[in-house]
Amino acid sequence: MYCSIVPPYMLRRLAARDEPRLSAVARAAKEALLHVRSIQATRALPLPAVPSGIRQLRPGPPQRTVYDTGASESLPGQVVRKEGEPATGDASADEAYAGLGHTHRLYAEAFGRNSVDGQGLPLDATVHFGKLYDNAFWNGEQMVFGDGDGEIFQRFTRSLSVIGHELAHGVTQHSAGLVYRNQAGAINESMSDVFGALVEQYVARQSAAEASWLIGEGLFTDQVEGSALRSLKAPGTAYDDDVLGKDPQPDSMDSYVRTTADNGGVHINSGIPNRAFYLVASELGGNAWETAGRIWYDTLTGGGLPANATFTRFAKATAASARELFGTESVEHDAVRKAWETVKVKL
Amino acid sequence: MKITVQRSGGIAGLKREWSVQATTPTDKSRWEPLVEACPWDAVPGSGGFRGQPDRFMYSIRAGQRRATLPEQAVTGPWRVLVDKTRAAAEAARNGERGPR
Repeated sequence: MYCSIVPPYMLRRLAARDEPRLSAVARAAKEALLHVRSIQATRALPLPAVPSGIRQLRPGPPQRTVYDTGASESLPGQVVRKEGEPATGDASADEAYAGLGHTHRLYAEAFGRNSVDGQGLPLDATVHFGKLYDNAFWNGEQMVFGDGDGEIFQRFTRSLSVIGHELAHGVTQHSAGLVYRNQAGAINESMSDVFGALVEQYVARQSAAEASWLIGEGLFTDQVEGSALRSLKAPGTAYDDDVLGKDPQPDSMDSYVRTTADNGGVHINSGIPNRAFYLVASELGGNAWETAGRIWYDTLTGGGLPANATFTRFAKATAASARELFGTESVEHDAVRKAWETVKVKL
Repeated sequence: MKITVQRSGGIAGLKREWSVQATTPTDKSRWEPLVEACPWDAVPGSGGFRGQPDRFMYSIRAGQRRATLPEQAVTGPWRVLVDKTRAAAEAARNGERGPR
């Protein structure tokens, strides 16, 4: 049982002090708060294998297994590549293997997280799922990738942001557990786009200014008029095609979409929190995983975000994270407030 | 009778739609059994299929009947109806005649 001798509300007050003579106090309080929040988050989860309070060692290496269903839909399929084994020569299997590794590395190195559940969960992916299956998904335990239909979509392992997107659903499942419906679902989707984009940026060592901010670049065939599935920088501009139609994402609450399709438009309205993330990252400059990524990761895993959060609740939580990590008068806190104001989510 | 399959969701979040018109007696004799084979009155709620983000959602209409199903529930007669509707709609789009 973990008890903080200095209550969290007092730590928060100390963390928010800006006077130079109190800077060491504020810094120490922020560190203590991060520890409290990580314990609270652990407490909110089902009983872990490691008792809470025991400091986790640095994340270990990934434990990857790639399976092949051979065009059937019977999961997980046959093992084709285990951790440490050499490339198979099958592009999809090797892309999945590499992508799992890159994603694991982002979470371990940038956020100190040991795999999807924070406890070293083995990473499993199945490729060649179904016949001409034009999709990829997380089934609660593993990632699954189709080969695309060859007309609109190529194989889904071609995009590192797609691989990162799917694994991020696992991270969300093991942390805030955002319900996959309506606004909470759109936040869930946005988290996957955000961390999917960050995997690509981390691997390429791209700053926020250099990044494309696209999800699923390279998935479309040349027959499609479009660059990607979605753009965090400019929602609504990723594609405009005579078969697919136009990218339907809104970039602010002014064009929020009310629909029953797609679980209440989770892939559509995610454009709004996506753009907010981009705006924070762009405003702060440098590498997005170090700035906005840190704030968003803390919001997702800190234990303070309810599973049925609305956009407003989420916005407030990101502002609270920014305050706790960087202080009330920080450029980070300002950037977060400005971003939500720009996309018209009331804080 | 018009049969429409609407698919939404998936990681791409695209809305796709496939339709067939069963107007002639031959069409009807081909499509009505496929429609009748589906358990329209026993459509499962999506509650049993939690925890699978980025899967498709299907909204199926045949005449006056409607059903909304998560992808995992599109099995057996539902799967047959959806696959045949898609194939027929795509064949019609490609200029061929009738369902395969």
